[in-house]
This record gives sequence, structure tokens and C-alpha cells, in this order.
Amino acid sequence: MSLRNVSVVYKKEMVDSLRDRRTLISMVVVPILLMPALTIGMSSLSIRLMNRARQEVPRVMILGGEDSPKTTAALRQSPGVEFVPATANYKDEIIEKRVRAAVEIPPGFDAALESGEMKKVAIYYYEGEIRSQFASQSMQTFFRNLRERTVSQRLAARNLPESILKPFDIAAQNVAPPEKVGGNILGGLIPYMVILLCMTGAMYPAMDLTAGEKERGTMETILCSPISRTHLVLGKFLMVLTAALATAMLSIASMTVSFKFAKSSTGAGMSEARRAALANLTLDPKGVLAVFAMVLPIAVMFAAALLAISLFAKSFKEAQSYLSPLMIVVILPAVAALLPGIELNTRLALIPILNTSLVSKELVTGTYHWNYIALIFGSSCVYAAVALFAAVKLFQREDVLFRA
Amino acid sequence: MAPLISVRELSKSFRTFKRREGVWGAVQNLFVRDYHTIQAVDRVTFEITPGEMVGYIGPNGAGKSTTIKMLTGILVPSSGEVSSNGFVPHAQRRQYVKTIGVVFGQRTQLWWDIAVIESFKLLRRIYDVPQRDFDQRMEMFHHVLGIRDYLHTPVRKLSLGERMRCDLAAALLHQPPILFLDEPTIGLDVVAKDHIRKFLRQLNREFNTTVLLTTHDLDDIEELCRRIMIIDHGRLLYDGPLALLKQKLLRTRQVKIVLKDSEQVPRAQSLARDGLHLESVDELTYRIRFDRAAVATGELVRRVLDTVEVRDLLIEDESIEEIVKRIYAGDALREVSA
Repeated sequence: MSLRNVSVVYKKEMVDSLRDRRTLISMVVVPILLMPALTIGMSSLSIRLMNRARQEVPRVMILGGEDSPKTTAALRQSPGVEFVPATANYKDEIIEKRVRAAVEIPPGFDAALESGEMKKVAIYYYEGEIRSQFASQSMQTFFRNLRERTVSQRLAARNLPESILKPFDIAAQNVAPPEKVGGNILGGLIPYMVILLCMTGAMYPAMDLTAGEKERGTMETILCSPISRTHLVLGKFLMVLTAALATAMLSIASMTVSFKFAKSSTGAGMSEARRAALANLTLDPKGVLAVFAMVLPIAVMFAAALLAISLFAKSFKEAQSYLSPLMIVVILPAVAALLPGIELNTRLALIPILNTSLVSKELVTGTYHWNYIALIFGSSCVYAAVALFAAVKLFQREDVLFRA
Repeated sequence: MAPLISVRELSKSFRTFKRREGVWGAVQNLFVRDYHTIQAVDRVTFEITPGEMVGYIGPNGAGKSTTIKMLTGILVPSSGEVSSNGFVPHAQRRQYVKTIGVVFGQRTQLWWDIAVIESFKLLRRIYDVPQRDFDQRMEMFHHVLGIRDYLHTPVRKLSLGERMRCDLAAALLHQPPILFLDEPTIGLDVVAKDHIRKFLRQLNREFNTTVLLTTHDLDDIEELCRRIMIIDHGRLLYDGPLALLKQKLLRTRQVKIVLKDSEQVPRAQSLARDGLHLESVDELTYRIRFDRAAVATGELVRRVLDTVEVRDLLIEDESIEEIVKRIYAGDALREVSA
């Protein structure tokens, strides 16, 4: 095995790719700019949208209640709500979003409060519409408070202590250090992103180095050179692997930097919610490094598998149609690890991608199950070796190389 | 002289499947495939001695490129034997290709986006060419191909002619004694073609380089090769001197006459009534085609001159293109073997 020839091919492909704008965009620009923009931008956008929804003064209708002036008068004092005159088609009004909610006060409600008779207050709202939910919440708060006040009054009237309804208090206190909290929130996301970016980073060069080369007609000429096919495929493979790892590393690095930057700019004008969200974005660097170590064999597997599959294709376009569905095959197990309740076990530890995704989730929270780590790393290495072997073997087959 | 390249009963077959027509056919193709074997090269035998320049022609899909690919070692023959420069190409490919140069006219081994010189430097490393030899040869290539002016231009910005010169230089960087050219002049203009041909002649003269070239341009063959091989449907139809092919297959000859004035036109037409094959080219120019086996040229010329007054007279052979067209159509070589 001559490493020199492999390195010649590797260098050639590297130089070639670095001059290619498309590779540069998918390998460098996308991870550096897009990923932090997506994650931070999306979260700050959603916080802003929430705030705006909260700031809107919802219009609410009061249905009935003519014989309960005390309750209606108190209700009308609720802050941040605009009451509009009732109409018969209140349901349509809510559906059309002209009115956010409606409160139906049953007949004789004030009197029932006095007599102790049970009545039902109905609140109409639009499920899933956040502004309607806010309006409904403030109505519920009003009536819950009213109910509690009524209960207190009734207890006081009968000379009973309030503790009869509330025998004890419950206090829950978080003891997890902040990086573990961050790890749980981001923990699932980091491996998912690293795995996905390894895939996307490898995809373009894999297609370019095989199907693209066929399409440009440079495959025959490179096959004519005194470089063995094994060296050729290994050189190409190393280039694809480099692209995969570079994409993943750059994106994680740029995300870390942008989180740091976002945190250091904490100051005036920042909402409480946003500050809290950022406080959770603390990561244990050791955990992230461990994730990279675990993803390494996966990246090898991707690079080799993508190379092998796109080698089958006659053209770039054909390669794209082979690889796009593969994206889903990769995303599914990576996402499955994010589902609550899926825990690592011996069987899952043998499923490629899912196993790495699961163990990485533990690694970022600082939990190291060495048995699983060994098993997962080992099995991933086996899968990677199989994929690489397949790629090398396929490169020896002239019916694949010259498929027309 | 001992042959440099020796090919014996060489065959190559591919397995493909018949594609059915239409949407339903495409669906059927997914499940049932009607495989059949295509004999791309069928028991071809030839030898080439050092310093020969051989033209290898045939219609599209005849098996030319497949033969070249087997000779360069990138395809493994289905059966038969190949030996070239003392190597079995596909078995000893890595040592063997250091002794050959290959140029595919429609492909390039140069990097598309990168200056030409970078590709040369890479090839120098791949072929282990010492720096001194490399510099010397670059100087020589510049001298005969004039490539220095665009050494620092990316390949995609070169014209086809410029690119072909660079590709030739790239293929010859390691000074191989054998050069395979697959349609080297395809798409080139007349001047560029001429330049390439001159270079190949010089190469053959000075370094005794053996050249096997496939082409569709028969001028390439006439200007470069004394020997021609014709392949169709994988079978070698003819292998021999170009002159002999012409001599054997030249069936018709034509006499072109330019009449003195329009008064001669009715007389010229009387020639046609006497059984001569007369075509009018324009008002005063006529072409008479005749079978040279049946009619002696002198006899015909005398008859024409006796009948009409002519200002000009030209005797032409059937062009090589016409002959090859007849060969491809399948009726010509029966005459040779007959």
C-alpha cells in the first residue's frame, strides 16, 4: 500500500474542491453562517412573536350575566382585555378571529354565589391560536381567583381555617448544574446536528468525485493513470471524509462562538425570557468533544457509503436522486433519539446512527456509560469498515465504473 | 520486426437489458429485465510494429473505444489475449500505463477549474518524471505546440484546440513509446487539426512513437497513417495499407467537364442518351460518373471530347469517405474478398 499515491489523489481532490464554489458553500459558508442564524435566529424570532402576541389587547365578549352585575362589573375591570358587546354568532366571531374569546355567565350567577348553588361558567376560545389562548387564560385566571375568594369567604363564614383545603405546600427545587440543564435541552440537538451535517457535508463532494467525474468524462483519464483503483478510491474517500468533518466542526464551532457572543451581550433591552433561554445554552466542551469522537466512525460510514452509492450513478442528477431519499434514512434514527422515553439498551446500541445519537445525548450531559460507549463505537466501526470495503470493491467493477 | 502490440482473438461483451417503451414498459423494466449480451468487440486480431501509425475507424458503436480501453488496461477482455510493450495491460496496468500515453478527444485529464500547469505538476508526480526531464519536455512542448502562453489559464477558459494541445502534452509528459488517441481532432477547426497532425507526424519521426488513433475524420487517416483498420459490429473488416484499400475498392471514377459555352449544352445532353451517367452541377458544369472496371478512362475522355467542346476537364477518384460509407453499408468488402 503506497500512501504516497493516496495522498496525491487526496491532494488533487482537495485542491479541486477548494476551487469549486459549490463545495465551498456547502462545506464552509452554510455551517458558519446558516446554522447559528437558524438556531439563534429561530429562537429569538419565536420569543419576539410570543411577546408581540402577549402585548396584543384581546377582544372578549361577555355572554349573559345581565342579572349578575357584581361579577360582570368585576370582570370588566380585568387588565389588558377589551370587552365588546355580545352577539349571537360569537362562535363564528372567534373562528374568524375578530374576537379572541367569549365568557358565558349563567343566569342567576351572582345569586348562586350567595346561596352556594353550583353554576358553570363557560369560556369559548380557539385552541392552537396563541392570542386566543392568552385571552382564555386571563378569563380563567379571573374566575379561578373569584372561586378562591368565594371559598375563603365561605370558610370564614363557617369559622373554618383555610388549611382545611390546603393541608401542605409543595416546593420543587432544581439541583442540576446549569450545563446539565443546557445539555438536556441542547443535548439531543447537538448530536443530531453533527450527524446531519456530516451527511450533508459529505454529499456534494461524494457526488462530484464519482458521478460528476463520470459526467465530465475525467473518469476514464484518471483510470488510465498509474494509480491503482484502491488508491484512487481511498484518496477520494479521505477527501469526502474531510468535507464531512469540516462541515460538522465548523458549524459547531460557529454555534459555540455565537452563543458566547449572544451571552456577553446580555444587558439592557433584553427580555427576561430571552435571558433565561440563553442561560440554558451552556455546554460542556468535554461532552462535545466526546460526541465528535463517537461521530467519527459514522462520518467514515457516510463518506464511504455516499461514495459507493453515487458511483453507481451515471450523472450528477442521477446521484442526487439516489442520495436525497437517503437523507430521510439518516434523519429518522437521528430524530428518534430526540423522542422522550427512548433510552439506550443493548439492542438499540447496535442500530447505526440511532445508537450514536442516543449515546451522544448522554455524553453532552456528562453521563458516561463505558460499556455502551465501547459497544456503540465498536459496532459503528464495523459498519464503517463494511461501507468502506464496499466502496473499494465497487471501484474495481468495470460494469459500475463504465455504466452507460 | 517483432510486434510492439499484439492482439489475438480479443473479445469484449457487455450485458445490458432491453428497455421497453412507454410508461408501462418502464414499470415492467423494474421487475422483469430482458437481459442480452452485446458483443462490443468480437475476436479481433492484429499486430502493430514499433513506429507505426495506424488509423482505426468504424461507425459509432463499432467497438473502437472498447478496443482502446482494453489496450490501455482499463477494461478487462472477456476473452482473447492482449500484449502491449511487453505487458498484459489489464493485469500489469500500473507498470504498463507508465509506458503509454492516452488522449480521449472528448475528455480531458486536465483539471477543469485550475491552471494547466498545476495539472502538469500533478502528472509529473503521478508518473515520477524527474524535474530536469520535466523542464526539458515542457520546453520542447512549448516549441512544437506553443502551449506556454496559456499554461496559467484554467482549462475551462481554453479553446478546444488549445485544450487538445495541452492534453497531448500531458499524455506525453513521461515520453511514452506508445500513444493511443481516441478521436483527437473531434470538434477542432481546420487550422487546429492541421497543427495537431503536424505535431503527431513530428513525434513519430523524431521519437519513433507508435500511434494508434481512432477517428471519424478520414483526412486524419490520409495525412497520418499508411495503415488502416476498419471495425464494425465488433468485427475487424479490413486491416491493411490505405493505398490497397483504395485500389481495391475504388469502383467509380468521375470526369468533371466545364463546357465552352451554352451552345454545347444540347450536345452534352446527347451524351446521357448514349448511356453515360451525367449529372449537371450548374449551367455549364457536368459530372460523368463511370465504373472504372467497365470503361477505360482514356476511351471515355475521347468520347466526351469528340462530342462537345470543353474549356476544362478534371478526372477524380471516388473519395475515401465514399468508400468508407460503402464499407459501413456492408457491401464493399465482399468485393475485396471476392
